[in-house]
Amino acid sequence: MGHLIGDEYLRDHLLEVAKNIVLAIKKAPAITGRTQIETEIVYGDDIVPIIEVLEPVSRGQRYIQWDYETIKSCHEKGETPVIIGIGAKVDNSNLGWNCGACGFPTCREYNAYAKDCSGGGPLGGPSCNWKLLDYAIACDWACASAWQYKVDNRIMGSVGFAMAALGMLPDSNVKLGLALGPARDMVYYNREEMNRKITYEEEKTEMLKSASTMFTCFSGNGNPMYKTKDRWWTQPERMDMGFSQSAVEEYEKIVRQQVPEIVMKHVEKIAARYKKKK
Amino acid sequence: MKKYVEDLDFHGEEKISDWPPWSPQDIRRKKGVLESARMMANSVMTSPCAGGVPQVEIELIYGQEELEALARKVEEIAHTNKAWKDAFLYEAVMVRDSDVIMMIGNTRCHETPLDANCGMCGGGTDCSYFYDKVEHKYGLVDITDRRSETMIKGPLCSARVDDLGYAVGSALWTAHTLMVDARPFASMGMAGQKLGYCSNSGMVVGVPVAAKTKNPYVDVNVDYHLINMDKVLDNTRKIYQTARLLRGFDYRKWIPKPAGKQEE
Repeated sequence: MGHLIGDEYLRDHLLEVAKNIVLAIKKAPAITGRTQIETEIVYGDDIVPIIEVLEPVSRGQRYIQWDYETIKSCHEKGETPVIIGIGAKVDNSNLGWNCGACGFPTCREYNAYAKDCSGGGPLGGPSCNWKLLDYAIACDWACASAWQYKVDNRIMGSVGFAMAALGMLPDSNVKLGLALGPARDMVYYNREEMNRKITYEEEKTEMLKSASTMFTCFSGNGNPMYKTKDRWWTQPERMDMGFSQSAVEEYEKIVRQQVPEIVMKHVEKIAARYKKKK
Repeated sequence: MKKYVEDLDFHGEEKISDWPPWSPQDIRRKKGVLESARMMANSVMTSPCAGGVPQVEIELIYGQEELEALARKVEEIAHTNKAWKDAFLYEAVMVRDSDVIMMIGNTRCHETPLDANCGMCGGGTDCSYFYDKVEHKYGLVDITDRRSETMIKGPLCSARVDDLGYAVGSALWTAHTLMVDARPFASMGMAGQKLGYCSNSGMVVGVPVAAKTKNPYVDVNVDYHLINMDKVLDNTRKIYQTARLLRGFDYRKWIPKPAGKQEE
Protein backbone atom coordinates (compact mmCIF):
# COMPACT_ATOMS: atom_id res chain seq x y z
CA MET A 1 0.00 0.00 0.00
CA GLY A 2 1.11 3.52 -0.47
CA HIS A 3 0.95 6.55 -2.68
CA LEU A 4 3.20 7.47 -5.59
CA ILE A 5 2.96 11.22 -5.93
CA GLY A 6 5.23 13.63 -7.75
CA ASP A 7 8.01 12.76 -10.17
CA GLU A 8 10.70 11.29 -7.96
CA TYR A 9 9.77 7.64 -8.43
CA LEU A 10 9.75 8.15 -12.21
CA ARG A 11 13.50 8.80 -12.10
CA ASP A 12 14.06 5.33 -10.67
CA HIS A 13 11.53 3.87 -13.05
CA LEU A 14 13.34 5.38 -16.03
CA LEU A 15 16.21 3.04 -15.20
CA GLU A 16 13.85 0.07 -15.31
CA VAL A 17 12.58 1.22 -18.70
CA ALA A 18 16.19 1.51 -19.87
CA LYS A 19 16.72 -2.13 -18.89
CA ASN A 20 13.64 -3.10 -20.89
CA ILE A 21 15.04 -1.20 -23.86
CA VAL A 22 18.30 -3.14 -23.60
CA LEU A 23 16.20 -6.29 -23.87
CA ALA A 24 14.85 -4.95 -27.17
CA ILE A 25 18.38 -4.14 -28.35
CA LYS A 26 19.47 -7.69 -27.64
CA LYS A 27 16.37 -9.11 -29.35
CA ALA A 28 16.79 -7.01 -32.52
CA PRO A 29 16.88 -9.09 -35.72
CA ALA A 30 20.21 -9.23 -37.54
CA ILE A 31 21.21 -9.77 -41.14
CA THR A 32 24.51 -11.54 -40.55
CA GLY A 33 23.75 -12.88 -37.08
CA ARG A 34 27.44 -12.47 -36.32
CA THR A 35 27.56 -8.97 -34.86
CA GLN A 36 28.10 -8.70 -31.12
CA ILE A 37 26.10 -5.78 -29.71
CA GLU A 38 27.46 -4.22 -26.53
CA THR A 39 25.32 -2.08 -24.23
CA GLU A 40 25.89 -0.02 -21.13
CA ILE A 41 23.43 1.98 -19.05
CA VAL A 42 24.85 5.16 -17.53
CA TYR A 43 22.76 7.08 -15.01
CA GLY A 44 22.94 9.68 -12.27
CA ASP A 45 26.22 11.49 -11.69
CA ASP A 46 28.06 8.98 -13.85
CA ILE A 47 26.93 10.90 -16.92
CA VAL A 48 29.02 13.90 -15.80
CA PRO A 49 32.20 12.79 -17.64
CA ILE A 50 30.14 12.55 -20.84
CA ILE A 51 28.84 16.08 -20.32
CA GLU A 52 32.37 17.32 -19.62
CA VAL A 53 33.79 15.80 -22.83
CA LEU A 54 30.99 17.31 -24.87
CA GLU A 55 31.62 20.81 -23.51
CA PRO A 56 34.66 21.80 -25.61
CA VAL A 57 33.39 19.99 -28.72
CA SER A 58 30.11 21.84 -28.45
CA ARG A 59 32.02 25.03 -29.25
CA GLY A 60 33.05 23.61 -32.63
CA GLN A 61 29.94 21.70 -33.66
CA ARG A 62 26.47 23.14 -33.37
CA TYR A 63 24.70 19.78 -33.25
CA ILE A 64 26.92 18.73 -30.37
CA GLN A 65 26.15 22.00 -28.62
CA TRP A 66 22.45 21.10 -28.93
CA ASP A 67 22.97 17.73 -27.22
CA TYR A 68 25.44 19.09 -24.66
CA GLU A 69 23.24 21.97 -23.52
CA THR A 70 20.17 19.75 -23.32
CA ILE A 71 21.74 16.95 -21.29
CA LYS A 72 23.65 19.33 -19.02
CA SER A 73 20.63 21.49 -18.32
CA CYS A 74 18.44 18.46 -17.52
CA HIS A 75 21.15 17.13 -15.19
CA GLU A 76 21.50 20.45 -13.38
CA LYS A 77 17.74 20.57 -12.82
CA GLY A 78 17.88 17.13 -11.19
CA GLU A 79 16.21 15.53 -14.20
CA THR A 80 19.24 13.54 -15.35
CA PRO A 81 18.59 11.55 -18.51
CA VAL A 82 19.53 7.90 -18.50
CA ILE A 83 22.00 7.11 -21.27
CA ILE A 84 22.11 3.77 -23.00
CA GLY A 85 25.43 3.29 -24.76
CA ILE A 86 25.16 0.99 -27.76
CA GLY A 87 28.27 -0.33 -29.47
CA ALA A 88 29.40 -3.04 -31.83
CA LYS A 89 32.60 -4.36 -33.27
CA VAL A 90 32.18 -4.03 -37.02
CA ASP A 91 35.77 -3.28 -38.05
CA ASN A 92 36.63 -6.89 -38.76
CA SER A 93 34.63 -8.85 -41.31
CA ASN A 94 34.42 -12.52 -40.47
CA LEU A 95 31.86 -13.01 -43.24
CA GLY A 96 34.07 -13.82 -46.22
CA TRP A 97 31.39 -12.43 -48.52
CA ASN A 98 33.73 -10.27 -50.65
CA CYS A 99 30.70 -8.15 -51.55
CA GLY A 100 32.66 -4.96 -52.19
CA ALA A 101 30.45 -2.60 -50.19
CA CYS A 102 33.38 -1.35 -48.10
CA GLY A 103 35.37 -0.42 -51.20
CA PHE A 104 37.77 -3.36 -51.10
CA PRO A 105 37.26 -6.31 -53.46
CA THR A 106 37.79 -8.86 -50.69
CA CYS A 107 37.19 -9.10 -46.93
CA ARG A 108 40.84 -10.08 -46.50
CA GLU A 109 42.06 -6.78 -47.98
CA TYR A 110 39.54 -4.84 -45.93
CA ASN A 111 40.62 -6.58 -42.72
CA ALA A 112 44.26 -5.85 -43.50
CA TYR A 113 43.38 -2.18 -43.92
CA ALA A 114 41.13 -2.05 -40.87
CA LYS A 115 43.60 -3.68 -38.50
CA ASP A 116 45.46 -0.46 -37.81
CA CYS A 117 42.71 2.15 -37.68
CA SER A 118 39.92 0.77 -35.53
CA GLY A 119 37.78 3.46 -33.96
CA GLY A 120 39.88 6.17 -35.55
CA GLY A 121 37.03 8.45 -36.58
CA PRO A 122 34.78 10.60 -34.39
CA LEU A 123 32.07 7.96 -34.88
CA GLY A 124 34.45 5.02 -34.91
CA GLY A 125 34.86 3.05 -38.10
CA PRO A 126 35.98 1.43 -40.25
CA SER A 127 32.84 -0.56 -40.92
CA CYS A 128 31.86 -3.76 -42.66
CA ASN A 129 28.60 -2.34 -43.97
CA TRP A 130 26.58 -5.53 -43.43
CA LYS A 131 27.68 -5.76 -39.81
CA LEU A 132 27.00 -2.06 -39.46
CA LEU A 133 23.43 -2.73 -40.63
CA ASP A 134 23.01 -5.26 -37.80
CA TYR A 135 24.23 -2.61 -35.40
CA ALA A 136 21.92 0.05 -36.83
CA ILE A 137 18.89 -2.25 -36.61
CA ALA A 138 19.70 -2.74 -32.91
CA CYS A 139 19.98 1.05 -32.41
CA ASP A 140 16.67 1.53 -34.20
CA TRP A 141 15.02 -1.07 -31.97
CA ALA A 142 16.28 0.87 -28.98
CA CYS A 143 14.57 4.02 -30.28
CA ALA A 144 11.38 2.18 -31.26
CA SER A 145 11.27 0.49 -27.87
CA ALA A 146 11.71 3.81 -26.05
CA TRP A 147 9.00 5.28 -28.26
CA GLN A 148 6.57 2.53 -27.29
CA TYR A 149 7.29 3.14 -23.61
CA LYS A 150 6.46 6.79 -24.34
CA VAL A 151 9.80 8.08 -23.11
CA ASP A 152 11.29 11.02 -24.97
CA ASN A 153 14.57 9.90 -26.47
CA ARG A 154 17.17 10.57 -29.13
CA ILE A 155 19.99 8.50 -30.53
CA MET A 156 23.14 10.65 -30.45
CA GLY A 157 26.45 10.50 -32.25
CA SER A 158 27.74 13.14 -29.85
CA VAL A 159 27.24 10.89 -26.81
CA GLY A 160 28.76 8.00 -28.77
CA PHE A 161 31.83 10.16 -29.43
CA ALA A 162 32.12 11.03 -25.73
CA MET A 163 31.78 7.39 -24.67
CA ALA A 164 34.48 6.40 -27.16
CA ALA A 165 36.80 9.13 -25.89
CA LEU A 166 36.27 7.95 -22.30
CA GLY A 167 37.01 4.33 -23.21
CA MET A 168 33.49 3.14 -22.50
CA LEU A 169 32.02 0.20 -24.45
CA PRO A 170 35.59 -1.14 -24.72
CA ASP A 171 34.76 -4.07 -27.01
CA SER A 172 33.22 -1.92 -29.77
CA ASN A 173 34.48 0.33 -32.53
CA VAL A 174 31.21 2.04 -33.43
CA LYS A 175 29.30 3.69 -30.59
CA LEU A 176 26.13 5.71 -30.23
CA GLY A 177 24.28 6.88 -27.15
CA LEU A 178 20.54 6.82 -26.62
CA ALA A 179 19.53 9.59 -24.24
CA LEU A 180 16.33 8.67 -22.40
CA GLY A 181 14.01 10.97 -20.56
CA PRO A 182 13.37 12.90 -18.35
CA ALA A 183 9.70 12.03 -18.17
CA ARG A 184 8.09 14.80 -20.14
CA ASP A 185 7.29 15.77 -23.71
CA MET A 186 9.67 17.58 -26.04
CA VAL A 187 13.05 17.09 -24.42
CA TYR A 188 14.95 16.28 -27.60
CA TYR A 189 12.64 17.81 -30.20
CA ASN A 190 11.53 21.45 -29.89
CA ARG A 191 14.12 21.54 -27.13
CA GLU A 192 12.95 23.76 -24.30
CA GLU A 193 16.44 23.49 -22.80
CA MET A 194 17.79 25.41 -25.79
CA ASN A 195 15.56 28.39 -25.19
CA ARG A 196 17.60 31.58 -24.76
CA LYS A 197 20.82 29.71 -25.57
CA ILE A 198 21.12 31.03 -29.11
CA THR A 199 20.67 34.57 -30.37
CA TYR A 200 18.66 35.69 -33.36
CA GLU A 201 21.88 36.86 -35.02
CA GLU A 202 23.55 33.44 -34.60
CA GLU A 203 20.46 31.68 -35.90
CA LYS A 204 20.23 33.98 -38.92
CA THR A 205 23.94 33.71 -39.76
CA GLU A 206 23.88 29.94 -39.54
CA MET A 207 20.85 29.60 -41.77
CA LEU A 208 22.63 31.82 -44.28
CA LYS A 209 25.69 29.56 -44.18
CA SER A 210 23.77 26.29 -44.04
CA ALA A 211 21.10 26.94 -46.65
CA SER A 212 22.98 29.49 -48.74
CA THR A 213 21.02 28.95 -51.97
CA MET A 214 18.01 30.44 -50.14
CA PHE A 215 19.87 33.73 -49.93
CA THR A 216 21.70 33.78 -53.27
CA CYS A 217 21.13 36.73 -55.59
CA PHE A 218 21.08 36.70 -59.39
CA SER A 219 23.83 34.27 -60.37
CA GLY A 220 24.27 35.41 -63.96
CA ASN A 221 27.28 37.53 -63.16
CA GLY A 222 29.27 34.49 -62.05
CA ASN A 223 29.86 35.75 -58.54
CA PRO A 224 26.49 36.22 -56.90
CA MET A 225 25.84 38.43 -53.94
CA TYR A 226 24.27 37.03 -50.80
CA LYS A 227 21.27 38.59 -49.13
CA THR A 228 22.90 38.81 -45.74
CA LYS A 229 20.78 41.72 -44.53
CA ASP A 230 17.46 43.37 -45.24
CA ARG A 231 19.05 46.05 -47.49
CA TRP A 232 21.29 43.46 -49.13
CA TRP A 233 22.18 45.57 -52.15
CA THR A 234 24.11 48.02 -49.99
CA GLN A 235 27.67 46.89 -49.21
CA PRO A 236 27.30 43.70 -51.26
CA GLU A 237 28.68 40.51 -49.70
CA ARG A 238 29.83 37.45 -51.64
CA MET A 239 30.55 33.86 -50.73
CA ASP A 240 33.92 33.45 -49.06
CA MET A 241 35.55 30.40 -50.63
CA GLY A 242 38.73 30.82 -48.62
CA PHE A 243 40.47 28.14 -46.62
CA SER A 244 41.03 28.96 -42.97
CA GLN A 245 44.00 27.24 -41.35
CA SER A 246 43.17 28.87 -38.05
CA ALA A 247 39.65 27.42 -38.02
CA VAL A 248 41.05 23.94 -38.65
CA GLU A 249 43.65 24.39 -35.92
CA GLU A 250 41.08 25.67 -33.47
CA TYR A 251 38.94 22.56 -33.86
CA GLU A 252 41.98 20.25 -33.84
CA LYS A 253 42.97 21.85 -30.52
CA ILE A 254 39.59 20.97 -29.05
CA VAL A 255 39.72 17.35 -30.13
CA ARG A 256 43.43 16.68 -29.63
CA GLN A 257 44.12 18.70 -26.47
CA GLN A 258 41.03 19.73 -24.58
CA VAL A 259 39.13 16.45 -24.89
CA PRO A 260 42.14 14.30 -23.84
CA GLU A 261 42.67 16.55 -20.81
CA ILE A 262 39.11 15.87 -19.66
CA VAL A 263 39.42 12.19 -20.50
CA MET A 264 42.54 11.87 -18.33
CA LYS A 265 40.50 13.01 -15.33
CA HIS A 266 38.06 10.13 -15.67
CA VAL A 267 39.81 7.42 -17.60
CA GLU A 268 41.34 5.48 -14.71
CA LYS A 269 38.06 5.12 -12.88
CA ILE A 270 36.25 4.12 -16.06
CA ALA A 271 38.93 1.64 -17.15
CA ALA A 272 38.86 0.05 -13.68
CA ARG A 273 35.15 -0.66 -14.16
CA TYR A 274 35.84 -2.92 -17.12
CA LYS A 275 38.85 -4.60 -15.51
CA LYS A 276 36.64 -5.83 -12.67
CA LYS A 277 34.26 -7.24 -15.22
CA LYS A 278 36.99 -9.38 -16.77
CA MET B 1 -24.89 8.45 -55.68
CA LYS B 2 -23.80 5.09 -57.03
CA LYS B 3 -20.74 5.23 -54.80
CA TYR B 4 -22.92 5.95 -51.79
CA VAL B 5 -25.02 2.84 -52.42
CA GLU B 6 -21.90 0.75 -52.84
CA ASP B 7 -20.58 2.01 -49.54
CA LEU B 8 -23.71 0.73 -47.83
CA ASP B 9 -23.44 -2.61 -49.58
CA PHE B 10 -21.21 -3.98 -46.84
CA HIS B 11 -21.76 -7.64 -46.29
CA GLY B 12 -20.14 -10.81 -47.51
CA GLU B 13 -18.18 -13.89 -46.57
CA GLU B 14 -14.46 -14.36 -46.95
CA LYS B 15 -12.46 -17.46 -46.41
CA ILE B 16 -8.87 -16.73 -45.45
CA SER B 17 -6.32 -19.50 -45.20
CA ASP B 18 -2.71 -20.22 -46.11
CA TRP B 19 -3.62 -23.47 -47.86
CA PRO B 20 -3.62 -24.42 -50.66
CA PRO B 21 -1.08 -21.93 -52.02
CA TRP B 22 -2.29 -19.36 -54.56
CA SER B 23 -5.95 -20.29 -53.98
CA PRO B 24 -8.51 -17.46 -53.55
CA GLN B 25 -8.36 -17.77 -49.76
CA ASP B 26 -4.57 -17.66 -49.85
CA ILE B 27 -4.45 -14.63 -52.12
CA ARG B 28 -6.96 -12.85 -49.85
CA ARG B 29 -4.58 -13.55 -46.96
CA LYS B 30 -1.61 -12.29 -48.98
CA LYS B 31 -3.46 -9.03 -49.59
CA GLY B 32 -3.65 -8.59 -45.83
CA VAL B 33 0.12 -9.05 -45.67
CA LEU B 34 0.49 -6.47 -48.44
CA GLU B 35 -1.37 -3.99 -46.24
CA SER B 36 1.03 -4.82 -43.40
CA ALA B 37 4.00 -4.27 -45.70
CA ARG B 38 2.61 -0.87 -46.65
CA MET B 39 2.38 0.03 -42.97
CA MET B 40 5.96 -1.17 -42.56
CA ALA B 41 6.83 1.21 -45.39
CA ASN B 42 5.31 4.04 -43.36
CA SER B 43 7.60 3.27 -40.45
CA VAL B 44 10.59 3.13 -42.80
CA MET B 45 9.77 6.70 -43.75
CA THR B 46 9.62 7.83 -40.11
CA SER B 47 12.78 6.00 -39.00
CA PRO B 48 15.57 8.15 -37.55
CA CYS B 49 18.33 9.35 -39.88
CA ALA B 50 21.32 11.67 -39.73
CA GLY B 51 20.21 15.20 -40.47
CA GLY B 52 16.62 14.22 -41.26
CA VAL B 53 17.50 13.87 -44.95
CA PRO B 54 15.19 11.87 -47.27
CA GLN B 55 17.28 8.92 -48.42
CA VAL B 56 15.35 5.66 -48.57
CA GLU B 57 13.38 4.05 -51.36
CA ILE B 58 11.08 1.06 -51.00
CA GLU B 59 9.74 -1.47 -53.45
CA LEU B 60 7.21 -4.16 -52.65
CA ILE B 61 7.33 -7.38 -54.66
CA TYR B 62 4.52 -9.93 -54.68
CA GLY B 63 3.03 -12.53 -57.00
CA GLN B 64 4.16 -15.99 -58.00
CA GLU B 65 6.26 -15.02 -61.03
CA GLU B 66 7.86 -12.03 -59.35
CA LEU B 67 8.93 -14.05 -56.33
CA GLU B 68 10.16 -16.92 -58.52
CA ALA B 69 12.37 -14.50 -60.49
CA LEU B 70 13.83 -13.16 -57.25
CA ALA B 71 14.37 -16.67 -55.84
CA ARG B 72 16.27 -17.69 -58.97
CA LYS B 73 18.47 -14.61 -58.75
CA VAL B 74 19.28 -15.46 -55.13
CA GLU B 75 20.19 -18.98 -56.27
CA GLU B 76 22.37 -17.60 -59.03
CA ILE B 77 24.26 -15.41 -56.56
CA ALA B 78 24.58 -18.33 -54.13
CA HIS B 79 26.75 -20.17 -56.61
CA THR B 80 29.17 -17.27 -57.06
CA ASN B 81 30.59 -17.43 -53.55
CA LYS B 82 31.38 -20.33 -51.23
CA ALA B 83 30.61 -18.23 -48.18
CA TRP B 84 27.09 -17.59 -49.50
CA LYS B 85 26.19 -20.92 -51.04
CA ASP B 86 24.39 -22.79 -48.29
CA ALA B 87 22.69 -19.86 -46.61
CA PHE B 88 21.59 -18.21 -49.84
CA LEU B 89 20.16 -21.46 -51.25
CA TYR B 90 18.12 -21.82 -48.06
CA GLU B 91 17.01 -18.21 -48.38
CA ALA B 92 15.85 -18.71 -51.97
CA VAL B 93 13.36 -21.21 -50.55
CA MET B 94 12.23 -18.55 -48.10
CA VAL B 95 11.64 -16.15 -51.01
CA ARG B 96 9.18 -18.61 -52.57
CA ASP B 97 7.56 -19.10 -49.16
CA SER B 98 7.02 -15.34 -48.64
CA ASP B 99 3.86 -13.36 -49.24
CA VAL B 100 5.40 -9.96 -49.95
CA ILE B 101 9.04 -8.96 -50.18
CA MET B 102 10.05 -5.48 -49.27
CA MET B 103 13.18 -3.99 -50.77
CA ILE B 104 14.62 -1.12 -48.78
CA GLY B 105 17.46 0.85 -50.34
CA ASN B 106 19.51 3.91 -49.48
CA THR B 107 19.68 6.36 -52.39
CA ARG B 108 22.51 8.45 -50.96
CA CYS B 109 25.14 6.07 -49.59
CA HIS B 110 26.99 5.84 -52.92
CA GLU B 111 26.36 9.30 -54.36
CA THR B 112 25.58 11.96 -51.77
CA PRO B 113 27.36 11.03 -48.52
CA LEU B 114 26.74 12.67 -45.16
CA ASP B 115 30.00 14.62 -45.62
CA ALA B 116 30.42 15.03 -41.86
CA ASN B 117 33.98 13.71 -41.51
CA CYS B 118 32.60 11.14 -39.06
CA GLY B 119 35.04 8.41 -40.08
CA MET B 120 32.52 5.58 -39.85
CA CYS B 121 33.53 4.26 -43.29
CA GLY B 122 37.28 4.07 -42.96
CA GLY B 123 38.10 4.91 -39.38
CA GLY B 124 39.78 8.20 -40.28
CA THR B 125 38.96 11.73 -39.25
CA ASP B 126 37.62 12.85 -42.62
CA CYS B 127 35.73 11.66 -45.71
CA SER B 128 38.87 10.83 -47.72
CA TYR B 129 38.38 7.06 -47.43
CA PHE B 130 35.21 7.36 -49.49
CA TYR B 131 36.20 10.13 -51.89
CA ASP B 132 39.65 8.70 -52.70
CA LYS B 133 38.00 5.53 -54.00
CA VAL B 134 35.22 7.04 -56.15
CA GLU B 135 35.18 9.18 -59.26
CA HIS B 136 34.15 12.69 -58.34
CA LYS B 137 34.69 16.36 -59.04
CA TYR B 138 34.74 18.76 -56.12
CA GLY B 139 32.90 16.19 -54.07
CA LEU B 140 30.14 15.56 -56.62
CA VAL B 141 30.23 11.82 -57.22
CA ASP B 142 29.93 10.52 -60.77
CA ILE B 143 27.94 7.29 -60.50
CA THR B 144 27.38 6.83 -64.23
CA ASP B 145 29.93 4.01 -64.47
CA ARG B 146 27.87 1.31 -62.83
CA ARG B 147 30.19 -1.58 -63.69
CA SER B 148 31.50 -3.48 -60.70
CA GLU B 149 33.67 -6.50 -60.11
CA THR B 150 31.93 -7.07 -56.80
CA MET B 151 28.27 -7.63 -55.97
CA ILE B 152 28.04 -4.17 -54.44
CA LYS B 153 29.89 -1.20 -55.88
CA GLY B 154 31.72 0.27 -52.90
CA PRO B 155 32.82 2.26 -51.11
CA LEU B 156 29.68 3.53 -49.45
CA CYS B 157 29.06 6.26 -46.93
CA SER B 158 28.70 4.18 -43.77
CA ALA B 159 26.74 6.89 -41.98
CA ARG B 160 24.11 6.51 -44.71
CA VAL B 161 24.32 2.72 -44.42
CA ASP B 162 23.73 3.17 -40.69
CA ASP B 163 20.58 5.12 -41.56
CA LEU B 164 19.53 2.29 -43.89
CA GLY B 165 19.83 0.00 -40.88
CA TYR B 166 17.47 2.26 -38.93
CA ALA B 167 15.00 2.05 -41.82
CA VAL B 168 15.18 -1.74 -41.87
CA GLY B 169 14.89 -1.85 -38.08
CA SER B 170 11.74 0.26 -38.11
CA ALA B 171 10.17 -1.94 -40.80
CA LEU B 172 10.94 -4.99 -38.66
CA TRP B 173 9.62 -3.38 -35.51
CA THR B 174 6.31 -2.64 -37.21
CA ALA B 175 6.18 -6.19 -38.57
CA HIS B 176 6.60 -7.49 -35.02
CA THR B 177 3.91 -5.12 -33.77
CA LEU B 178 1.53 -6.29 -36.50
CA MET B 179 2.40 -9.93 -35.70
CA VAL B 180 3.51 -10.73 -39.23
CA ASP B 181 6.79 -12.58 -39.74
CA ALA B 182 9.69 -10.69 -41.29
CA ARG B 183 13.48 -10.86 -41.28
CA PRO B 184 16.25 -8.87 -42.97
CA PHE B 185 18.32 -10.60 -45.66
CA ALA B 186 21.46 -9.60 -47.56
CA SER B 187 20.83 -12.24 -50.23
CA MET B 188 17.44 -10.88 -51.22
CA GLY B 189 18.74 -7.30 -51.10
CA MET B 190 21.61 -8.03 -53.48
CA ALA B 191 19.45 -10.15 -55.78
CA GLY B 192 16.75 -7.48 -55.85
CA GLN B 193 19.33 -4.83 -56.63
CA LYS B 194 20.67 -6.91 -59.52
CA LEU B 195 17.13 -7.33 -60.86
CA GLY B 196 16.73 -3.55 -60.88
CA TYR B 197 14.64 -3.04 -57.77
CA CYS B 198 15.53 0.12 -55.81
CA SER B 199 17.65 1.13 -58.79
CA ASN B 200 18.60 4.48 -57.26
CA SER B 201 20.21 2.86 -54.25
CA GLY B 202 23.80 1.97 -53.45
CA MET B 203 22.83 -0.72 -50.99
CA VAL B 204 19.58 -2.67 -50.64
CA VAL B 205 18.24 -4.95 -47.90
CA GLY B 206 15.44 -7.42 -48.57
CA VAL B 207 12.77 -7.86 -45.92
CA PRO B 208 10.39 -10.71 -46.76
CA VAL B 209 7.05 -10.64 -45.00
CA ALA B 210 4.70 -13.54 -44.40
CA ALA B 211 1.67 -14.39 -42.28
CA LYS B 212 1.55 -18.15 -42.38
CA THR B 213 1.01 -20.84 -39.77
CA LYS B 214 4.75 -21.45 -39.74
CA ASN B 215 7.23 -18.60 -39.84
CA PRO B 216 9.10 -19.29 -43.12
CA TYR B 217 12.33 -17.67 -41.94
CA VAL B 218 13.19 -19.78 -38.89
CA ASP B 219 13.57 -23.43 -37.90
CA VAL B 220 14.84 -24.79 -41.19
CA ASN B 221 16.29 -28.27 -41.59
CA VAL B 222 19.66 -29.22 -43.06
CA ASP B 223 19.73 -29.10 -46.88
CA TYR B 224 16.65 -26.92 -46.78
CA HIS B 225 16.96 -26.17 -50.49
CA LEU B 226 16.47 -29.90 -51.14
CA ILE B 227 14.06 -30.73 -48.33
CA ASN B 228 11.29 -28.19 -47.86
CA MET B 229 7.50 -28.07 -48.10
CA ASP B 230 7.46 -27.72 -51.90
CA LYS B 231 9.86 -30.61 -52.30
CA VAL B 232 8.06 -32.75 -49.72
CA LEU B 233 4.78 -32.27 -51.55
CA ASP B 234 6.37 -32.96 -54.88
CA ASN B 235 8.02 -36.05 -53.43
CA THR B 236 4.66 -37.23 -52.11
CA ARG B 237 3.20 -37.04 -55.61
CA LYS B 238 6.18 -38.89 -56.99
CA ILE B 239 6.15 -41.76 -54.50
CA TYR B 240 2.42 -42.23 -54.03
CA GLN B 241 1.56 -42.17 -57.70
CA THR B 242 4.07 -44.92 -58.37
CA ALA B 243 2.71 -46.88 -55.43
CA ARG B 244 -0.77 -46.71 -57.01
CA LEU B 245 0.52 -47.74 -60.37
CA LEU B 246 1.68 -51.10 -59.03
CA ARG B 247 -1.64 -51.95 -57.40
CA GLY B 248 -4.15 -52.06 -60.25
CA PHE B 249 -7.30 -54.12 -59.72
CA ASP B 250 -10.91 -53.77 -60.83
CA TYR B 251 -12.40 -52.11 -57.74
CA ARG B 252 -15.90 -52.51 -59.18
CA LYS B 253 -15.72 -56.27 -58.77
CA TRP B 254 -13.32 -56.86 -55.90
CA ILE B 255 -11.50 -54.91 -53.20
CA PRO B 256 -8.98 -56.69 -50.98
CA LYS B 257 -10.15 -56.93 -47.33
CA PRO B 258 -8.46 -58.15 -44.10
CA ALA B 259 -8.37 -61.95 -43.71
CA GLY B 260 -11.68 -63.39 -42.47
CA LYS B 261 -13.64 -60.40 -43.70
CA GLN B 262 -13.84 -61.46 -47.32
CA GLU B 263 -17.44 -61.28 -48.56
CA GLU B 264 -17.28 -64.55 -50.44
